[in-house]
Amino acid sequence: MHPLLARPARLLLMAATAALFGVALAWVLKLLNPRPWSAALAFAVPLMVIYSFIVLSAWWMCRRQPMTGTASWRPLTAQVSVALQTSAVWVAIGTFWSVAIDKWLYAELSRSAIFADLAVLYVAGIPIYLMSAGAHYLYLAFEASHEAERRVLETEVTAREAELRALRAQLNPHFLFNSLNSINALVGSDPEAARRMCEGLGDFLRRTLALGSRDAVSLGEELGLVERYLGIEQVRFGERLRVERAVDPEAASCRVPPLLLQPLVENAIKHGIQDCVDGGTIRIEARCEAGLLRVVVENPVDEDAPSRRGEGVGLENVRRRLEVFGARDAHLSSGKRGNRFRVTLTLPALAAEVAHA
Amino acid sequence: MPEPLRVVLVDDEAPARALLREYLGAHDGAEVVAECANGFDAVKRISELQPDLVILDVQMPKLDGFEVLELLEPRPAVIFCTAYDEYALQAFEVHAVDYLLKPFGRERLADALDRARERLAMKSKRAPADTPQPPAPSGAALARTARGPGKHAERIVVRDGAQVHVLPADHVDYLEAQDDYVAIHSGGKAHLKHQTLSELAESLDPDRFVRVHRSFVANVERIARIELLAKDQRVAVLHDGRQLPVSRSGHERLKELLG
Repeated sequence: MHPLLARPARLLLMAATAALFGVALAWVLKLLNPRPWSAALAFAVPLMVIYSFIVLSAWWMCRRQPMTGTASWRPLTAQVSVALQTSAVWVAIGTFWSVAIDKWLYAELSRSAIFADLAVLYVAGIPIYLMSAGAHYLYLAFEASHEAERRVLETEVTAREAELRALRAQLNPHFLFNSLNSINALVGSDPEAARRMCEGLGDFLRRTLALGSRDAVSLGEELGLVERYLGIEQVRFGERLRVERAVDPEAASCRVPPLLLQPLVENAIKHGIQDCVDGGTIRIEARCEAGLLRVVVENPVDEDAPSRRGEGVGLENVRRRLEVFGARDAHLSSGKRGNRFRVTLTLPALAAEVAHA
Repeated sequence: MPEPLRVVLVDDEAPARALLREYLGAHDGAEVVAECANGFDAVKRISELQPDLVILDVQMPKLDGFEVLELLEPRPAVIFCTAYDEYALQAFEVHAVDYLLKPFGRERLADALDRARERLAMKSKRAPADTPQPPAPSGAALARTARGPGKHAERIVVRDGAQVHVLPADHVDYLEAQDDYVAIHSGGKAHLKHQTLSELAESLDPDRFVRVHRSFVANVERIARIELLAKDQRVAVLHDGRQLPVSRSGHERLKELLG
């Protein structure tokens, strides 16, 4: 729908402007073939108002033929050809109109004068259509830049929001409660292990805060955080938690958003290891291929476990952060194959700057 | 010397069980008769051992704590023990003795044990007399509690002697009332569950499971077609060829759902 059609006030303004143009046209016709003002105005003004509505059709044409930087001759020729046709339609309407009002206002004009009027109509109709097309292109360009601005703003807000949510999720209280309970248990049976776990927990929290405050980290740093996380969970799950790693050194030096991997590993434990009686193996893979970094986190799934509750939000969070970080080249895919669930992150392989820490 | 108290510990994390064992060691009379690391094992051992008290984690492999409780008959006294506080309300709805939040200290467990002893003493005193006891929540109430309000069961747990079956709801073909039981037909097998048909049907997704007859609830995704045998006498033919009777009101419900 044309944006003007929804705004009656502006349409009225357009019609009034067209009426003024109609007066000008009447004057030209009167100069060409003298006649009373009433006859000239009765012919020109209604036609011009009608035409102003017809040239609004340029809106659809402009959207179908966008002015791109490179091949701008193509929309131009298209618009000119449409201008020729539109003006012809106008002339046809003009012909009917002249016949309709012929009886009472036009009688004194010769047939050739009427043809001359229609010729003027045709010649005037072409630039008027092109002007309309130009105005519409301007409007579309304005709208596009507005839209782009809005999108940039929205992306920024999304990124901030995701950042905050990720940080909040990082301090998953249940992880802390369970870890404290494990420490509580170890204090009685193995005080030395309890100390090590306190140390590990402290180290993990400190690193989380440090990485979370940066815009980007190396995958190696992120994996370091994951290792500390796994070290703590190992105490809870013992032999049920096994981990396989296959990380290319090249991949480890790539840039990634901070705290992206840890939620995935947390999911792998919560919805994988925790549901399996005998636990299982979490596999973490990272490699560079054709300019892309691919990171895979895979975990076993118990056949009796209900469909993965609550995980959608976590994955969606990671997906959005990834997209904000790597734009079009970054994406997340996930799915279950057999009894293993796999999440794959793909993002542009860019070398991380050396951390100044 | 206090009364002996036979306890089963159910938690999938070894350190958590070790802690409970250590704490319980200081209580005269309390004896840990079994430790279980998953829901299946818990149902089996608790049924065999008939302990006085079960200390039960909520999130575990195979069956969660509430599902374990649903499958136990008679039901022992239960103390829930979890890192999650959001199950507390549900725990009291199923008459749990106490609800321990990890991490907890010796005193907190001691309080919970006192309560458990009180509860057990009351029960044994009452048993011979005919003082009415508050009725224990039914299996259906437990299942509802386990799911939380407004959610549909994604799986049905069934016990067959020592064996526990977990039936995903979308694998169920139809349910059939059989006296005090419901036969759950899933993948060509029938499993009996001690529950009424309406209770079980109520727990399932109403957009998928429809009461087509007084004694039958069908998974609409399994229905191939409805056949009219005589006036007001219809059968639902399932994809595998089996036929279920469809009553008039059942037909109305089906029409409403399938549009």
